[in-house]
Amino acid sequence: MGESIAGVTSQGQTTEVDFALVGHQESWRAASDVLAVLRGPEHTPLPEEEIKDILPWIPPRAVCHVGVGSIIGATARGLYIDSFIPPDRLEAAHTHDNIARVRGAAAYAIKERAKIVSLGGFSSILIEGNFDQLPERHGTVFTTGNTLTVGFIVQGVKKMCALEGRNLRRSTLLIVGATGDLGSGCARCLAPIVRRVLLSARNVERLRKLAAELEADGVQVEIATDLQRFSAEADVVICAASLASPSLLLGRIAPHALVCDAGYPKNLSPSAEMAGAKVFFGGLGQITGGLRFTPDFHGILNRHPFPDVVHGCLLEGMALALEGRFEPFSQGRGGITQERVDQIETIAARHGIFLAPLYNADGPVEDSVG
Amino acid sequence: METVIDLNCSLPGECTSLSPIALIWQDVLAQAMTGELVAAMNYTALSEICADSAGAADALEHAEGEQGHAAAFAAEGRKIGVDVPNNVGAKHWKRLREAFMRRIAERDFSGCLIVQEIMLESFAVASYGRAGKVAPGSLGRTFASIAAEEEEHIDHAMAILRTERALDAQRFDDKVYRLHFEVMTTLAEMLARECSHGHCEVCHGSCVKPSMSEIRLSAAELRGASLQQYLKTLDMLGLPGEVTLTWVSQLPV
Repeated sequence: MGESIAGVTSQGQTTEVDFALVGHQESWRAASDVLAVLRGPEHTPLPEEEIKDILPWIPPRAVCHVGVGSIIGATARGLYIDSFIPPDRLEAAHTHDNIARVRGAAAYAIKERAKIVSLGGFSSILIEGNFDQLPERHGTVFTTGNTLTVGFIVQGVKKMCALEGRNLRRSTLLIVGATGDLGSGCARCLAPIVRRVLLSARNVERLRKLAAELEADGVQVEIATDLQRFSAEADVVICAASLASPSLLLGRIAPHALVCDAGYPKNLSPSAEMAGAKVFFGGLGQITGGLRFTPDFHGILNRHPFPDVVHGCLLEGMALALEGRFEPFSQGRGGITQERVDQIETIAARHGIFLAPLYNADGPVEDSVG
Repeated sequence: METVIDLNCSLPGECTSLSPIALIWQDVLAQAMTGELVAAMNYTALSEICADSAGAADALEHAEGEQGHAAAFAAEGRKIGVDVPNNVGAKHWKRLREAFMRRIAERDFSGCLIVQEIMLESFAVASYGRAGKVAPGSLGRTFASIAAEEEEHIDHAMAILRTERALDAQRFDDKVYRLHFEVMTTLAEMLARECSHGHCEVCHGSCVKPSMSEIRLSAAELRGASLQQYLKTLDMLGLPGEVTLTWVSQLPV
């Protein structure tokens, strides 16, 4: 079938897709790049001021088709749906509007008959604690994708320790955003294999509850809502807080600490001074069986220095689609366990989805460690 | 001249002087009135290509309705002490009218509906809706009630257009794209942050856009709301969202 002048190809007329990925852009730069691709090379890119005027008005909708392949021959097709949450409106004051946008994106996925929907970044709020906000589903299932994200964060921490010759068993692990779905999942997976755990979050009751759960398994735990109040310095840090912008200042950490920034948007402030610390981004996986965007958004929707790298939360839906397991694998908050992580990692690995090469804002870290 | 009313007054009876705000509303009303008159002319022309007398009567009824809206805007102008001019021959409106008349010449009934109901009415519903939220008193109520009436027009056309799309979606979507390119490009230029192609020939003096913040509106807001309404209307028609997003992204700013 030839392409029509409207650009409505046969692919645009699909009646059913295997998966949908719901996301949003974490910076105006990223949003500008998305719109530049949509405008095409024959049109000049829009000035950022125009984008700031226009983007908040765009209703949630598909941006492109996504095709993913497996190393064992399976394929799945899906859609990337952007909720078009303005990057500067991620803070709590806009939660109501943002949930409405994510809900609109979810409704779009349902309308497109997606069998499974991964809710990336802020979007996961819709099923972490707002089940009543989900539109009527008609057979579409939703996952936050957080279990696979936890798996890749943990794998990344272990890999970085190995690269740096650190013994994780002798480490003090600090988790920032510890009571969130990602933070608590990381705590459950890593607490049994470190010397001591420091948990930080805003809600002290939730911190106490998580600490009690870990202590029951014999883990040495300290909690604090203020990062400066811990009695010990951490030498491994996971930043998994839900922050509207990169604004986290870690304060007291050990010289040469390993710091995993697993936030979306990133947690660590660019102005954070962490002399000697080795920062890397966490929660990312790489597809080795093939990834295709139509139109071509490679490097735009997945802005990483390596090919076919995607956030774990979105990869979870893709992996489950390749597996033909259309189930709400990750829902709710605080339910991620090592057993569940093992399950989703096994599924992902079977289809060639592995931990992505480690990198940070300066580029790949694996070449520079040691 | 009717009583001159200061729009900053909470009670109309207390207001005695013409404010700069009234002059801003004068230009906003002039655009709205011109749009309504163009719509009335379009529906009158549409009545001549309808397949049956019932359809023709319906189109003429719509034309009357749009003339009524124009009269309502003129009346609101008088209440705030301004005459509301109109210029259906102003450059943007003329181009929009010509695009519609080309469909009439082709006896393309659904093309006419797409131009008037999907494109021009999206602009009207969204713009009047925003104006209705910020305009004081009866002016606000008039904008809001006309926005609601225009939205009913869209519902009416939607059923006809959905039926046509069901027959051949590809052909229908291609037609919408051609009309989008022709009509929405002009509307986007009208709604741009600044009138970079010279005076619009409707505003009574200099361009009203830079002054719209005085009435808690902005060209950017009207453009955003209009494009949002347009995208949602195309969604309701069943066009793929990723395709219409590309179309809108390519409009001039």
